[in-house]
Amino acid sequence: MPILEPASLQAEGLRGVWVIFFATAMVVAAFVYALIFYSLLRWRDRGQSEAPAQFKQNPPLEIIGVIVPLLIVIGLFYVTYTREVANDALHANPYATVDVKAFRWSWTFSYPGHSISITGTPQAPPELVLPVNKLTQINLYSSDIDHSFWIPAFLFKRDALPGFPNHFDLTPNKIGVYAGNCSEFCGLDHALMTFTVRVVPVTDFERWIARHGEPIEPRASARQNAAIVGWSSGALAPQNAALVSW
Amino acid sequence: MITWLTTTNHKRIGILYMATTGVFFVIAGLLALVMRLQLAQPHETLVSPSAFNQLFTLHGTAMIFLVIAPFGFGLANYLIPLQIGAPDMAFPRLNALGVWLFILSGLVVFSGAFAAGGAAFAGWTAFAPLSGIQISTGAGEDLWIIGLLLNAIATITVAINFITTILLYRAPGMTMWRMPIFTWEMLATALMILMAFPALAAVLFELLIDRHYGGHFFDPAQGGNVVLYQHLFWFFGHPEVYVMILPYFGVVSEIIAVFSGKPIFGYVGLVLSAFAIAGLSMSVWAHHMFTTGVVANAFFSAMSFLIAVPTGVKFWNWIGTMWGGRIRLTTPMLFIIGFLLNFLIGGITGVMIASPPIDYHAEDSYFIVAHMHYVLGGGSLFAVLGAVYFWWPKMFGVKLSETLGKWNFWTMFVAFNVVFLPMHFMGLEGMPRRVYTYAATGDLPWLNLVSTIGALLMALSVMLFILNVILSSVSSMRVVAGRPRLPDDPWGGANSLEWATSCPPPEFNFEALPPIRSERPTWDLAHPEMTGG
Repeated sequence: MPILEPASLQAEGLRGVWVIFFATAMVVAAFVYALIFYSLLRWRDRGQSEAPAQFKQNPPLEIIGVIVPLLIVIGLFYVTYTREVANDALHANPYATVDVKAFRWSWTFSYPGHSISITGTPQAPPELVLPVNKLTQINLYSSDIDHSFWIPAFLFKRDALPGFPNHFDLTPNKIGVYAGNCSEFCGLDHALMTFTVRVVPVTDFERWIARHGEPIEPRASARQNAAIVGWSSGALAPQNAALVSW
Repeated sequence: MITWLTTTNHKRIGILYMATTGVFFVIAGLLALVMRLQLAQPHETLVSPSAFNQLFTLHGTAMIFLVIAPFGFGLANYLIPLQIGAPDMAFPRLNALGVWLFILSGLVVFSGAFAAGGAAFAGWTAFAPLSGIQISTGAGEDLWIIGLLLNAIATITVAINFITTILLYRAPGMTMWRMPIFTWEMLATALMILMAFPALAAVLFELLIDRHYGGHFFDPAQGGNVVLYQHLFWFFGHPEVYVMILPYFGVVSEIIAVFSGKPIFGYVGLVLSAFAIAGLSMSVWAHHMFTTGVVANAFFSAMSFLIAVPTGVKFWNWIGTMWGGRIRLTTPMLFIIGFLLNFLIGGITGVMIASPPIDYHAEDSYFIVAHMHYVLGGGSLFAVLGAVYFWWPKMFGVKLSETLGKWNFWTMFVAFNVVFLPMHFMGLEGMPRRVYTYAATGDLPWLNLVSTIGALLMALSVMLFILNVILSSVSSMRVVAGRPRLPDDPWGGANSLEWATSCPPPEFNFEALPPIRSERPTWDLAHPEMTGG
């Protein structure tokens, strides 16, 4: 699961938020479930003759019931806010820049200044090539309607909206092939609007750029890696006979 | 028959609402079952992509606009005048107009299935420009828009009626602070409707103008703004979520007090939390838009987190009500406990996705599908079933079978969790929502198969419920003569006024009202020794 093995620098930060929230959730859920089940076991009607005490309030306890959740969400907001600011900040001088354009139902990845432009189709999804451990800035556009650019292994998505370009940083830090897809429903073949992300060593990336983006053959090591992590690879889908999705 | 078509009586109108939602629930549930069968394994070809998109559009639209929200309106129509000691609603004819507009709205939405090009397929959110005329070319989308416009008008009439009735039609002695929690929750719900549904009507009209009269509100090629659509839609859409849950907070509060043998704990806190949720609900809409990159994520995140506080207060008070009580595990109470267990999960995942760094992964994935179904299915729907079992004897003078009811509960509880728990993990593994197929990678195939098996079990559970309703109807017809009538308070230990009149109540509700000296007049009547006579 991508939550367990994030594949980018930013995703490691985002994963920290998941971990804190998940731990808090477990504690809160365990506490509330314990109270519910204790009540059910302790006070289940077993034909007792005495009527239960008819109390209807306990102001100190009720105030605690407001303050404790308030403190919890203030803490969670602090975690959220600091990570969000760090994640959404754009850094100057990215190593690479990619313009991503979404359309029904595929993507165009172009590398400004290098005359590389890769356009996919629902049947043959495109591949986004990124250098490992280097900061890439993504400029995200849509040429028709709302889409969303999601790479589960990076724990990140951003909407591609006509008229509202988006910009964000990605620093993949694990070599491999990862699945990506459109996550904003966009009509008939939304399900096939997938792509792959190939994270390669910087030298390979430079060579690929120099060769004007000739497709990189899937190498044994990348395939193996994809097979091990499972979620990160595309499998051969009968109807589109190409690398598909998550 | 003709008396049902022309009725302006709030109890009959309430039953018309609830019965209609039952029919729409079965249809919308069957649509979901077909979707689950299509997703049972990767690359399944049971339905076409186009059909699948229509299925989830109609399923979502029906469950939200034709089942979960209007069942609450039907129940409130039935209960509010009874609970406040009034003979009827303030505007009975407006009430009748509302229910027939509501039924018509459902028929218009579903009639899209017979249009050329099929029903609407743009999802229940119908984001423009996907829902624009260039892409959604068929009349299905127009019928969807017009159906929901009728629905919005019907819902606004309901809200006006509830507010007026609650404020002006209370019996002598029924002060605001003695009203049952359910009535309070409906007052908060009605206020939210008045604030939110005009935004829905506006955005639907704009969409209609865009589609047919060259409006360009949402057409980026003509200077239109796609984010404006999302703002308007979610300005309605998020309060709508609370319109679908606050009535059921009321149901839980009523049932849990009766079967714990105690007054509701923290009455004032429950009332204040309802209005805190209603108020906050108006300032959280853009948490549906964290990934757009064009909203103030931090503000909407903070406001969304705050909703956890009044919701936590409710849990605290429900547990306080059970604490030290004498808990009777009847069928209604079991469904309410199911509500607590399921809704807690939906509430907690709700706090998680209120955090943008988490939402960046979870948004529009199956994690969201799981979250919203834990809130509206495991939460609201369980409360719907609890309410049906609880108030059925009041409405029809006969109890539903407790044995079948308990089978209904346990199968439903297991099935619900088998269907929706795996969806959290599908989402985390990268499965987006609203897809008709998926790749056979990772855990997705078996998770989806488990979910589909759960859906079949859920269908079985719904059949048990229908069987229960049929058997009780047959038995109630058979024993009209000869059987003693149910007592006014068939469950025993009831608090609110609807249990101080016959089952079913006479046309104008009460032959005589008991004195109202607290928020539990019926209980006071049965326990003169506790109230000093």
